[in-house]
Formats: sequence, C-alpha cells, structure tokens
Amino acid sequence: MGLLDHIWLGIVTVFTVDPVFSIAGLPISMTIIMVFLGLIFGIFVGATPGIGGPVAMAISLPILISIFGFKADALLPVLGFLVGIMKGSTVGGAVPAILFNTPGTPDSLMTTLDGYPLTKKGQPGKALRVAHFSSVSGDTISDIVLITGAPFLAIIVERFLDFPEKAALIILSLAFVSAVVGSNVWKGLLAALLGLFMAYIGTGEDGHPRLSMGSDNLANGFPLISAVLGVLILGEVFKSLEDMWREMRETSTITKVEVKGDNKLHLSDIRKILPFIGISASIGTMIGALPGIGSTLAATLGYATGRKIHKGSPAFGEGAIEGIAATEAANSAVAGANLIPVLSLGIPGNISAVFILLATESIGGFVPGPQVFRLVPDQINQEMVYAFGLFTAMIFANGLNWTFGGVFMRWMGVMIKIPKQRLLPIVLLLTLTAIYVQQTNMFAVYVTLGFGFLGYFMRKLNFSVLAFVIAYILANNLEESMRQAFAVTGADPWFLFASPTSIIFVVISILVVIFFARNQKDLN
Amino acid sequence: MTTGPFSPKMQKAPWTVGLAIFFSLASLLTLFVWIPLDIETGVIETFRRRVTIGDAMAPTIMAVAILVVSVVMGILTVFEPAENSSDVKEDLDKQSFVFLARLVIVVSIGLVLMVYLGPMVVDLINTLGGEIGSYRNLRATYPYKLIGYVFGGFVLIFGIISVVENRFSMNGALVSIIAVVVITMLYELPFDNLLLPPNGAN
Repeated sequence: MGLLDHIWLGIVTVFTVDPVFSIAGLPISMTIIMVFLGLIFGIFVGATPGIGGPVAMAISLPILISIFGFKADALLPVLGFLVGIMKGSTVGGAVPAILFNTPGTPDSLMTTLDGYPLTKKGQPGKALRVAHFSSVSGDTISDIVLITGAPFLAIIVERFLDFPEKAALIILSLAFVSAVVGSNVWKGLLAALLGLFMAYIGTGEDGHPRLSMGSDNLANGFPLISAVLGVLILGEVFKSLEDMWREMRETSTITKVEVKGDNKLHLSDIRKILPFIGISASIGTMIGALPGIGSTLAATLGYATGRKIHKGSPAFGEGAIEGIAATEAANSAVAGANLIPVLSLGIPGNISAVFILLATESIGGFVPGPQVFRLVPDQINQEMVYAFGLFTAMIFANGLNWTFGGVFMRWMGVMIKIPKQRLLPIVLLLTLTAIYVQQTNMFAVYVTLGFGFLGYFMRKLNFSVLAFVIAYILANNLEESMRQAFAVTGADPWFLFASPTSIIFVVISILVVIFFARNQKDLN
Repeated sequence: MTTGPFSPKMQKAPWTVGLAIFFSLASLLTLFVWIPLDIETGVIETFRRRVTIGDAMAPTIMAVAILVVSVVMGILTVFEPAENSSDVKEDLDKQSFVFLARLVIVVSIGLVLMVYLGPMVVDLINTLGGEIGSYRNLRATYPYKLIGYVFGGFVLIFGIISVVENRFSMNGALVSIIAVVVITMLYELPFDNLLLPPNGAN
C-alpha cells in the first residue's frame, strides 16, 4: 500500500466511518460531529477569560474517553474534538481582548494593543473580522507545514535514529524545554528531573514496584492523567484563585461599545494585512515546531516584527488592523506546527500536544512517533491511516473555522460577563470528577490534588510546569530507549556516544543548557 | 543596605536557596536510603551472562542529577550578584499560605462529605430502624448514590467561591447548586456505566 492509499483511507475514515445521520444522502460521521462540537466549544472557552484551550482539553479528555471507550475506533472522534478545541480557542481568545481589553488567553495579550483601540473607535466588528481572518490563515499555513513536514521528518528520523540516538534525542528535547521555558535554566532542569524521577515511582521491569514504599496504590505509579491534569490545570486554577482573592475582585466595568463607521473586512483590508499574516505565520510555525516555546512568544515576536515593517497610520498600538493580524496569525500558526514533534518524534512540545499524546496513550492503537509514517509493502499501516485521519480532521476544522468560526466568534462577547471566581471552582470539581470517572478510585483524586498543589508551588516559585509534565510523559520512553540501547550496543556503558548522531545530540543538549544559563540575564 | 555573608539576591530568593538545600538532602537520602531499600534490582543486572540495566539505574541517575543541579542552583543564587535577579522571581509569601490554608480546609470538607456523607446517611437510617441495608449495596440506587457527590460538590464549589470573594452570597450558593446539578446530570443521564465519587470500585 502506497502513501496515497493511506491518505485516501484516512480521509474516508473521517468522513464515512460510524455515520450518525445523513444530510441529503451524505453520511455525517461521528468524527465530523466531534470536530464541529470541539470547535464551537473551543471558541466558547477561548472567549471566556480564565479558561483556555488547555483547560477545556483537560476536562474533555476523560469525559470523551468515558463516552467513546478505549478501542481504536474512539481515536479519531476524540482527537477530532481536541483538535476542534485547539483551533477554536485560538480564535475565541481574541474576542475579549478586542471587545473588553481582557485577553481570553495569554497569547491574545498583544491583540488588545490594537484590537481595543479599534473597538473604542466604534469598529469592533472590523477588529473581530481581521482577527478571525488572520487567525485562521495562520492556522491553515501552519497545518500545511505540519501535513507536508511531519511525514518527511519522521522518515528521516526513522532512517537515522536507532535506540542510542532516540535516547539522546529525548535528552536533547528535555534539555531544550528546560532551558527555554521559564526564566531560570537550573529551575527548568530541576523541574524536568523531578518529573522524570516521579514517573519512575512504582514502575520498572522487576516484580517489585520500585520506590512504592509498600503502597498498593503506588504499585502502578501515579496515574499519568492525575499528574498531568494536576500540575497543568489544578495548579493554574489554585494560582488564579489566589490572584483573585488578593485582588478582591477588581471591579471591571464593562463599557458599552457604540458601533459606528466601517465594520466590514474589505478586499483592500485583506491586501493590507496579507504580508503581515505571511510573516507572522512563518514566525509562528517555526516557533511551534520547536518544543517548549509557546504561542505567547510567537505573538510577541510576530507583533514586534510587524511593527518594524509597518508604515503609515494608524500606527501599531493605535488601532492598526495590521497589528491585530500580526499577532493573531503568529499565535494561531503555533497550533499546527506544535504537532510536528509529537507526530514525527513522539515528543510533545507544548500543552496541546501533551493532551493529544495523552489521548493516544489512553486509547491505544496509535503511538505517535516515526513508525507512524512507515510504509510496509502490501500492508496497511493503520497508524498512518489515523495520522492522515487526524490531518483530515484538522483541515475540516479549518474549513469550519473559515465558514462558521467568524459568526460564532462574534456571538461570544457575552462570555466576559461570567465571573472567573465562580467558574474556576466549577472547573476544579469537573476536573476531579473526570479523573474519578476514569480511574474509579479516590486515590487518583487525592493524587491529582497533590500534583495540583505541586503545580501551584512551581508556578509561584517560577519552576517550569511544562518541563515537568513533558519529562513525566517521556520518562518511560527514555528509560526504555536506554535499556534497549544498552542491550543493542552489547552492554556498552557509553552507548550515548556510540554514534556521531547521538554524540551530536548530547553535545547540543549540553550547549543549549550552557548557552541559556550564560545568556539568561540578557534574555530576561 | 545588606551585610553579612548572604548576597542581596539570596535574600530576594530565600525559597530558591531553601529548595536547593532541601533537594540536595532529599537526593542524598534517596541515593543512600530510599533506592537501596525500595528497589530490588541494582543499577546493572547480570542474568545468565546477559548484562542489562536494572530498575535502580534511572532513579539513581535522576537523584544524582537532582543533587548536582540543586547544588549549582543554590551556589549561583547565593554568590551571584543581585543586579540581575529577575531569574529568581519568587511570589510566595505569608498571604499565599493563608489562602492555601483556607483552600485546603474547604476542599477537605468537600471531599470528606463526598466520600462519607452517603454511608453516614445510610447508617443513620439503619440506626433509626429503616433497615435499608449497607451503603455498598445501595451505591447504585437513587438518592443514596448521589448524596455524597452533590453535597460534597456543592460545599467544594460554594466554599471556594466564598473564600475568594471573602463573603457568603446567595448568588454564589445558587451558582454552586446549579453547577453541581448540571455536572451530575452530565454524567448520570447519558451514561449508565459511569460512577460518580465515591461509588467506584475501591
């Protein structure tokens, strides 16, 4: 079976398998419905300050798994919903930024700079349309790079990487994430090492579960979903609650906007913003492909670059549509490219990719990594079919975003009225319930809360939670690669230096840490 | 004006220095006590002349690395000049612990109610002569199966809202009731096989 056969099978699986109903004779599959619902939910949560895409993905994943089960045919509906959230939330995040000067997601912060001044001028409609057009354009460009780039990267990786190189590559990724995320390399490294260490509790190959202190609950280690949701979601919930408690609710008065003047997006506007979208989408895609660097930096760089090349009035910061375009295209372009390392290497680079990986690990039947794109003569590689199914779902989500996304986005202004301090406790109960429903024991709930407090302290003391989580997820892969590498090199203790490629990875890991440790102050 | 052996940067980041000391000691304890006592295979295992990596290898490497990184982090924090101290930003003060204590109390009460209220109500009914059987036998039966979750969930949400807003409000209570009812319905109505806390297997 060739590449084209797999692509076709992927498309067919998304559109025809498990039809729920039909419209004018056309079957509407469960995956299609889930992508649509995910997108709407994503726009909704993106527009709600306090919850973003990651929180929505975290709450949804256990519920989705409860609905669809652990069989491989659950994979595309679940991934479709998560992809929908990922795409919808980037679009939705611009809504409160533009209408109320309150970014719905951190990466929409720069959108406020030009979006809100336009709203004050009476042109919120125009600002929202520019944000939508730029966001979806950036996302689409990024997806094209993902779809064309990931398989080739995987093929190269598959050809050149054996076990020692894979172990060295995981070490490089962790070193990079630790060094780049956060403001202190040593804290980043410590976070990653703690993540690795905690993942080794209760696991191992021996009959005695290591480091479990005789506890039956720890015999299989901490539940992965508890660790990830605890540190990423509950940690953030606790910190946000404390911030609000300190502020004692800064009274945010919502100014009523009088809509006047030109609120349409004209062809001349599109011509004006296209160069900014192109540049920002390139920046966002490049940043997205690197592990650890998030959409907030992409938005900042996109905006800064846009400001340098912008001429004429209004200037950036005074309601320039180019400013909105530069920010939104950059932060949205991160979304697709983020999946490049996870699909081609099995290494998640950011929070959205973490949830995609978590979904595949929970459901089974699809293990992201270079083997996904391996062609076997006369056989169907089901994993490749799923990968192209995922790409199809992403393209379909983009299509929905182009057509319906803008309309839904403009309806979401009302979400700002939901008070965050009422919403976050609900998110907490929903997360704990979702964990319980999946794990069916209170120990998992307590572990989630424990990791939540760990995440809270990490945030307060400026330790990178992303480095911790990515290390926790990759810990077993790293150990397995090291065991295999040790075995295939004939018990060579220097297996990490067994080939030029692995030596290069190890040397780069060390250089990355040294470089960022030395230049930390300049970067800050 | 700062005096003594500690740099201004360290004074700005007492938690970082404290954590460096804590993790250094914890990693030493792990290396020399926890790993030897709680892992049955060594760093390297030999079985029938086949040499493999044992279960102790990965945790040992991590503990050594944590020791090294903690020591470096601690030394740098103590001895580096303070002018560029933005990289050791700390945001934890007495107020944080006041908030955390309140949060922990509220969450604990919510969870205790969630786990024990259902069995307690059943025991109470049995004590009063109801003879309805044990909670274990009733945990799939309305209303017993939802008592703990609904009350515990309500206390958890309403408690946190009240902690953050520093007041009890009817509006907050109403939001909490609606939220817990909606979440219960979300799981109860469409799925027969899903179990809300505390009705799972364990």
